[in-house]
Amino acid sequence: MTSLEQLITPWDLDETLGDLYVPPFIEEMAQQVIKQYNFNVSSMEVITTKADKGGLIWKINTNKGPKSLKILHRKPSRSLFSIGAQEYLVHEKKARIPAIVKTKSGSNIVEMGGKIWFVADWIEPLYPVSADIEGAKLLSNAIGEFHQLSKGYVPPKGAENASRLLRWPNAYKKVVRKISWFRNVANLYSELPTSKTILNTVDMFEEQAKKALTMLEQSSYQQMVTKGNKEWGLVHQDYGWSNGQMGPGGMWIIDLDGVAYDLPIRDLRKLISGSMDDLGRWDINWIVGMLEAYNEAHPITDELFEILLIDFSLPNLYYKNVKDMLFEPTIALNSELDSVVQRIVEIDKTKWPILEQLRKEWRGGKRK
Amino acid sequence: MKVLIVCTEKLPVPPVKGGAIQTFIAGAIPNLSKNHTITIIGRSDKTLPDKEIKDGVHYVRVPGGLLETYQEGVVNYLKNNTFDLIHIFNRPRLVLPIREVAPESRLILSMHNDMFKREKIEPEEAQKAIDQLDKIITISNYIGNEIVKLYPDAQPKIQTIYSGVDLERFVPTYSAKGKRIRASMRQKHKLESKKVILFAGRLSVNKGADTLLRSMVDLAKKHPNVALVLMGGKGFSDNRMTDYIAYIKAIADRLPIPVITTGFVHPDQIQDWFAAADIFVCPSQWEEPLARVHYEAMAAGLPIVTTARGGNPEIIEIGKNGFIVEQADNPQEFVTHLSKLLSSPSLCKEMGQYGRSYAEKNHNWNRVIDDISQVWSGIEYKIKNNVDISSTSKMNDEKEEQLLTKKAVAEKVSPLEKKHTRPKQKQPIKKITTSSIPWLNKEIIANKASNY
Repeated sequence: MTSLEQLITPWDLDETLGDLYVPPFIEEMAQQVIKQYNFNVSSMEVITTKADKGGLIWKINTNKGPKSLKILHRKPSRSLFSIGAQEYLVHEKKARIPAIVKTKSGSNIVEMGGKIWFVADWIEPLYPVSADIEGAKLLSNAIGEFHQLSKGYVPPKGAENASRLLRWPNAYKKVVRKISWFRNVANLYSELPTSKTILNTVDMFEEQAKKALTMLEQSSYQQMVTKGNKEWGLVHQDYGWSNGQMGPGGMWIIDLDGVAYDLPIRDLRKLISGSMDDLGRWDINWIVGMLEAYNEAHPITDELFEILLIDFSLPNLYYKNVKDMLFEPTIALNSELDSVVQRIVEIDKTKWPILEQLRKEWRGGKRK
Repeated sequence: MKVLIVCTEKLPVPPVKGGAIQTFIAGAIPNLSKNHTITIIGRSDKTLPDKEIKDGVHYVRVPGGLLETYQEGVVNYLKNNTFDLIHIFNRPRLVLPIREVAPESRLILSMHNDMFKREKIEPEEAQKAIDQLDKIITISNYIGNEIVKLYPDAQPKIQTIYSGVDLERFVPTYSAKGKRIRASMRQKHKLESKKVILFAGRLSVNKGADTLLRSMVDLAKKHPNVALVLMGGKGFSDNRMTDYIAYIKAIADRLPIPVITTGFVHPDQIQDWFAAADIFVCPSQWEEPLARVHYEAMAAGLPIVTTARGGNPEIIEIGKNGFIVEQADNPQEFVTHLSKLLSSPSLCKEMGQYGRSYAEKNHNWNRVIDDISQVWSGIEYKIKNNVDISSTSKMNDEKEEQLLTKKAVAEKVSPLEKKHTRPKQKQPIKKITTSSIPWLNKEIIANKASNY
């Protein structure tokens, strides 16, 4: 077997090779992939690797300007969905998203090593927005625009229909279930210092998750999703302060690999609750500012707003941070997890009054 | 008849990568080629040719993976090839596209999972597909009942045909061959002195290994001598450590008993682990169609502890070949049943032997083959006599019975026999809907009534 016939699989499972290590056979493949394009590469630089999954991004300097060369770690049929979306947004909708560079034969992608490779424009310059409420508004508006433009996308032939639209109840159940795992593990490792903290908090957060699930089940969610994938459009799924940046002509959105059909406010929920986490407390002015900025580009209907509030009620922060204790509990339950959980409990206390206020004060896309 | 078997897009046939549907097809279909010309169309695989003839069966393999891609391959194939009967496996969504290119063929659908669920197929398409089918074979009453709940008029077309197990390959632990394998497996894995509890399946939330592991905490207090084997799927050392695998590893690490994860075991070798075990547990949490592993455990002469989920309880006679955990997520219920078995080797033995005889009687492949053969004969009869699709089962059974009493038997059977030089059957015509497990047939009727 020559190296070009090898399959790309995760290559640094014990995380000893370093972040920027690339196996030689993949380097060799990259050279073959580059040959299929109408440009000459003068230099290439590894930007980031997903060694545990089998993904990679290079920045390549070519005689036709800087480009990115990516290996998408997902299975090809899934990646084709995202590539199709990127092309749709750039070509049909003129969105500020890097354009895909076609191969000599006119294809969007090269398939090698069992993965999809593709080249896109490298947008320069790109700056992160300021870490304040104004930055947060810019990000919110940009993702609202993205959601608006993505409506109507139909994936190309051979692509999977990547959709999370119908999966919300299951995702909520998953959170409920996994929180009960935290309890089971903490009980089995009860002698470790943080176990007690987990056991002291797990009931409350489990209750929150169950309540959020009930609220979702009683909401108009089921009826809303019947509208269909294409009509709701795409959600970025990994949007935040690094995948939305200021550049030529306005805000640019990058790294679309994970896009899927979904209710649009999932991105907004993550963006807002992530910002509140950074802030260390829930802040009504930030949230209203972000909602208004988003609403300008993509109207938040009252029923969508209801789902947003429900999604806020899920103990996302607790779940996301405590989840890691499942891996190597003897290390996790001895570490700084204790202070992390304490902090989350404090932030959580500030969340509920704000949600209540939002419920009362927000109607028809604005604060009353 | 000229018959086309349509497999799913996921896994190849023969089951070189495992799979219940693939095992079912490989176990039953080739034997039917004595009386029928059979082609099996399935997904391509690196280890298998795109076209071959093996044991008289034609294999055609087209690209799989995505249903849409696969469908295109199947449809294209059918544009140039015609069949009397097309027997589709587990893909209601293939029915209409196939009907379009095979307007004259009779269509049968075999259902192994709940693929008629709303999120799997649009109700309108499902109803149209059902209308095109002569018969819907299901691998458990549970699957049939779920279809009827959504589409009541499917009922007369539905028939349960339970799957089979290779009784030569899965031998009882107490047989000479079983003892040999058992001794070598137990030595190899340092289990000589242990009571081995076996789990077989993916390590996933649905399959419930976590609940079983949690039950070991208390079970080990009473029975420190147990060992737990988790066979199949991803082991703890597998590349991609999911949250779930991390979770069950966290439990396993705290247990005072050995927990062995085997990782993927080639389908050819799984019988060895059954031979090495003392008790088989299926802790499934989801509404499972009916897991094959139950048949394999019975064939291996193991007592079974399973959960009251989906079709799994259908093949359990409580206290005879196994026990049923009513609350699937309650570890204590597992402790109760397992303690009972572990405390009484004679009970284990008795139940294992009963299970073996149950499997011999009800889940040998010949029974499965006979059942399918009868369904096909029913179709053949309908073709000969121009009986249309809709006048199926119930009405048809009555008609058939009338015909039988009017000495129509000879007319019905003999022309076919001549044509296909079919060996004389012991019972030329059984009622089509007869399953070889009479008490289960009664049960499906009762269940169905309660579903309305």
